[in-house]
Amino acid sequence: MAQDPLCLLCVEPRFPGRLGAVADWLVRKRGYRCWFYCHGVDPQDRWPGSTGRGLEVVQFDVGGVAKEPSVAWTRSLERGLCYAYGAWEVIEARRPRPVDVVLGRSTGLGSTLFVPAFAPRAPIVNLFDYYYHPRRLDLADELVDRLPPDYVNWRVAANAMDLLDLENGVVPWTSTEWQRSLYPAEYRDDFFVQHEGVDLRRLGGESRRSGSRGRSIAGRSIPEGAKVVSFVAMTTDRLRGFDRFVSLANRLLRERPDVICVAAGGGTVGRGLDVEHFGADFAEIAMGREPIVDPERFWRLGRVSPVAVAEVLRTSDLHVDPSRPYVLSRSTVEAMASGAVVLGWDSDPIREVIDDARTGLIVPPDDSEAAARVALGVLDDPIGHRPIGEAARELARDRFDRDACLSRLAGLLDDLAKRSYAPPRRGGG
Amino acid sequence: MDVLFIHQAFPAQFGRLALELSRRYGWRCRFLIETYSACPTPSKAMLDALEIHQVRDTREKPKGGVPWPQVFGRWLEQCLAYRSAYEWAIGEDRPDLIVAHGGQGAPIAFLRERTNAPIVNYCEYYFPNRFADLTYRVDLPPAELAPFYPRCINATTLLAMQASDAGYAPTRFQRDSFPERYRPGIEVHFDGIDTALYRPREVPPIALPDGRTIGPGHRVVTYVSRGLESMRGFDLFVEVAGRIARERSDAVFVVAGAGTTYYGWDNHYTDGADFRSWAMERHGADASRFAFLGHVEPEVLSAVLARSDLHLFPSVPFVPSWSLFNAMASGCVVLGADVEPVREVVEEGRTGLLAPLFDSARWADRALEVLDRPGEFGPIGRSAAALIRERYGLDACVPDLRDYFDRVASRGRKDGR
Repeated sequence: MAQDPLCLLCVEPRFPGRLGAVADWLVRKRGYRCWFYCHGVDPQDRWPGSTGRGLEVVQFDVGGVAKEPSVAWTRSLERGLCYAYGAWEVIEARRPRPVDVVLGRSTGLGSTLFVPAFAPRAPIVNLFDYYYHPRRLDLADELVDRLPPDYVNWRVAANAMDLLDLENGVVPWTSTEWQRSLYPAEYRDDFFVQHEGVDLRRLGGESRRSGSRGRSIAGRSIPEGAKVVSFVAMTTDRLRGFDRFVSLANRLLRERPDVICVAAGGGTVGRGLDVEHFGADFAEIAMGREPIVDPERFWRLGRVSPVAVAEVLRTSDLHVDPSRPYVLSRSTVEAMASGAVVLGWDSDPIREVIDDARTGLIVPPDDSEAAARVALGVLDDPIGHRPIGEAARELARDRFDRDACLSRLAGLLDDLAKRSYAPPRRGGG
Repeated sequence: MDVLFIHQAFPAQFGRLALELSRRYGWRCRFLIETYSACPTPSKAMLDALEIHQVRDTREKPKGGVPWPQVFGRWLEQCLAYRSAYEWAIGEDRPDLIVAHGGQGAPIAFLRERTNAPIVNYCEYYFPNRFADLTYRVDLPPAELAPFYPRCINATTLLAMQASDAGYAPTRFQRDSFPERYRPGIEVHFDGIDTALYRPREVPPIALPDGRTIGPGHRVVTYVSRGLESMRGFDLFVEVAGRIARERSDAVFVVAGAGTTYYGWDNHYTDGADFRSWAMERHGADASRFAFLGHVEPEVLSAVLARSDLHLFPSVPFVPSWSLFNAMASGCVVLGADVEPVREVVEEGRTGLLAPLFDSARWADRALEVLDRPGEFGPIGRSAAALIRERYGLDACVPDLRDYFDRVASRGRKDGR
């Protein structure tokens, strides 16, 4: 019989990754017991609260080509299989029992592919992020005239692991309808679409937008009356539009002496999608191409904690999401949840959450003049734009409250576990 | 019509078809291949009529095969070799249609980005996770890879499914091996059997490689497979042959095929022996009752099958061998495993006989019935030959495939390019 509460086996290449927060919630709010199998572990200060208290982290080793820090694109499927096998080996050796349900992530590293060899009856839910289209979306739209043939081949081959997972009996889960729509039509109906949600309590503190007194970000005081324009991304890369943000920031810094632009995020480009800048510090490249006109008013925070992000968003008078068409940035949802006015560059994933002029503002992706005009309009009249921020907050409360979102996921997991233990139905009349 | 066929080996499934399309309809047929096959070998007519370009793959081939999961890395590298072969061999001389074997899916996927020709995927087979093909032989030692390899072997097939504009499988069983979601896009069109070559006929006594001659006083039991391996039930054949041999001193067992395992993991438990030797030893077979021909030319095979009194096909559920169709076309009485792909063509008691795969006593009983009273079973062989001629012969299949290719070419690509 299914245990009540459930015993969950999570598999993801890194901890906490994407599933760590989900597992943490399930442990804390639903009393699940969780074994989290991963290859790599982030520093302890990023571990969720239940780690070691119901959420047990177990590391697995990988062999073969997966030992190499990076591989030729032709070996990426092979590498994914090595990860999947490495996970199975340690699961088989440790034999966590009972496993009521498995939660994995299809990111090309195919984490749960071989779990059924250990737990054949346990239902598997896999989080799917992104199905690559050879010549469109993300950065491909802009690279169209200079797409290297091998890059196109990689984009085709990179879907192999997702297709294997989809065909190997997992329940596919993805965060947004747009992500679901990227997958081949044959699979779309199978998807459970549910955003993981954001922590409304963390984001819902007192607003510190212009007009508030004693404002500060990361310990730096904001001059009275200054307007804050924010950008947040894990990596300040081209995919997330850091170059677009730099252009807009320069325009705003020139036009308005009271603007402070704040960028949270950093690091080098880790996504293979940016074939031209992989491994490089794209922020430096972007600012080298277009130097910041007033560095004193362009604050780069680097990678900061979720608490610091919440502080930025609470203080922001205009939050900017200039992403290329790609998976919706979590920070955009967080900005909306904090009541910020969000300006997004037009794309389907942005339109899925922002209703232009009601819950945010949208500008054409190739019209920097329009972006500047709209941004200046917000900064000219922050109070007049507050209703947009409020509507965004309302929408986030309705659709992106983590407790509500993950309750629905837990409902799916509970249901699948129950059904897996149900006796088979007898055939015949 | 200008068709580019892509297949690892030549002639394989496409060589004869292309020759017929070229002869009958004047189609231009080009090929991108890696190797020339030894079973069957290409005919001179094929080599004369078809434009064949060999992919240059300079990678070293490790002895003993490539360990998994390196197979997948090599697959993708191999696909790059196809793509560059396309550049130098085809270039801008775009074909009207590409017909490619989807089991090495990535050539299709990558070529899709290179050309706007519609792509037809030859959907030969989709491997299920368990208790089929590679994992059906539960009577043999389990392979360590069994829980893993079948879960990833279809990776390139899936890429091919996504990258093609249409697909066809030679039999319903092969189509139905694919996930249900893909089946509506896969039509069934058989490759075509040369019924001018494989037909019922009187043949003179056959001289065996060891100097013996098969004359009228022998009862001939045949077994044919590209490789003498477990998936094709070679060991089961040997076991049944032993039972028959004890009952009939005039029975001779003629085997065509190489002592090579093409599918599965036989070498994991044979202690270095080839599966043929392992099976013979395991069942204490009297080698003097067997004649091993190795890979033979189609003309030799057709004579052997025409002389056969009984053809055994103890295969696991997997792609039905051409030898099954060839034997039926030759008027043999076929005794096959009672599994879906065999049942699709063998109707018990009408076009052949069936027996449960693992029931060797039943196989032997049925075989002895046929060998004891061949006259009674003659109508079955004749019905089998008629069935193949009418439904699976080149004259039935080539026009059907021509129409299908025409349809796909005129429909163009799914993506409108």
